[in-house]
Amino acid sequence: MVSDRFAEGEPGAITASLAHVPELLCAISPFLRAIYGPSAISPRLKEIAVLRVSVRMQCRFCTQTHTAVARRSGLSRDEVVALRGRAPAETAFSDPRERALVRWAEAMALGPDPVAPAIMSLLAESFADHEVVELAMIASATMMLARYCTALELPPSAATLEQLRAEELL
Amino acid sequence: MNELVAGIEDGSLGGRLWLYSNYHCNLTCAYCLTASSPKAPRRALPPDRMVELARQAAELGFTSVGVTGGEPFLIPEMPETLARMAAHLPVLVLSNATLFTDKLLARLAPLADLPVTAQVSLDSADADDNDRNRADGNFSSVVAAIPRLLAAGLAVRVATTGAPADDEARARLCALHSELGISDADHVTRPIVRRGRAGDNAAAVPPSTDNLFPELTVTAEGAYWSPFAPTITGGRTDTDLLICRVTEPLQHAVEHLLHIVGGRPPGAGAVAGIP
Repeated sequence: MVSDRFAEGEPGAITASLAHVPELLCAISPFLRAIYGPSAISPRLKEIAVLRVSVRMQCRFCTQTHTAVARRSGLSRDEVVALRGRAPAETAFSDPRERALVRWAEAMALGPDPVAPAIMSLLAESFADHEVVELAMIASATMMLARYCTALELPPSAATLEQLRAEELL
Repeated sequence: MNELVAGIEDGSLGGRLWLYSNYHCNLTCAYCLTASSPKAPRRALPPDRMVELARQAAELGFTSVGVTGGEPFLIPEMPETLARMAAHLPVLVLSNATLFTDKLLARLAPLADLPVTAQVSLDSADADDNDRNRADGNFSSVVAAIPRLLAAGLAVRVATTGAPADDEARARLCALHSELGISDADHVTRPIVRRGRAGDNAAAVPPSTDNLFPELTVTAEGAYWSPFAPTITGGRTDTDLLICRVTEPLQHAVEHLLHIVGGRPPGAGAVAGIP
């Protein structure tokens, strides 16, 4: 929506594209804020799920954008590299809770069947029901956006590309 | 009292609903915010649609309708359309005043008895100054057209785009419009907005919700924040001031405008509007 764009400065590619249909932007902006904004799930855990789903969905925009966001959210370079599939997640993440999340996020993205019971059980042992619900919505919204961004070939921001280039993560 | 009427009455919203009848124009003015020209895509609102929007605007509480473009009088049905719209609300139609032939003036004659005002563009009392940004011969066309419009019984205003260079230039311009039969009260000055063909004009008003007065503006492509908003850059519609795509019913667009106005910080005051 126009007022949001002016209030928050230069809009990102998703906002700018949705501005072509303000009715959609008005509905989707608060939805995305609820999912990706502050909540019961920490930014670090959110970015683990989002980046793993983005990679498995093969969305260049989402992967590059959330690589940068993940680094700013406290994930190490090794952790980000592992989530991008360039190293085993088992060695990069020592916390069993986070390892369970990585496996579950990957299963969500690969679909289309229900997540395997063993993977689902590991997640359920580590997270409360409300957290599982939220994680499922985070992963699902990321999958929707991954298709949207890929279909429209949205470009990552210059700042994102500069950060990734500096960290040799492009 | 509904929210729209309350906003109009307290001055936070424009009472005039603006309609872009079309985007093409017989001129190619240097500062045109819609980058209109003879080759510009028409993007026209059908006459029946304009009349229906005027009808709905009256029901919703708007106080008048403005018709702009492009050059509205390139639409063949414009005189009759203005008359039909005036049955619902007073109408202000903006024009470059270059197309008023005897035949067209005869068709405009019935508007003399209706609440229709023609606002014609005149930037300077100096022909060269005026024509520099508009077109060769524009000054003489406008100066000839104004008395003829008045003689036909139409209400006429003069609009100057961009402030005159200095006090002397302003005085000479005001002397000219007075001589032509237009009072100071019917002479308005509009800002140049950094948009369209004036996109590189550093002295122009930057377009934003902070410095453009909220006046609902409907085009063939959707509804916008202000009549300074529906522009095109590189052949693509600018979306920064687009508020919705759906304009039927007009209430839908009004609700989106009210939602945005309601979300602005307290004290936000827009300043620039078409008087």
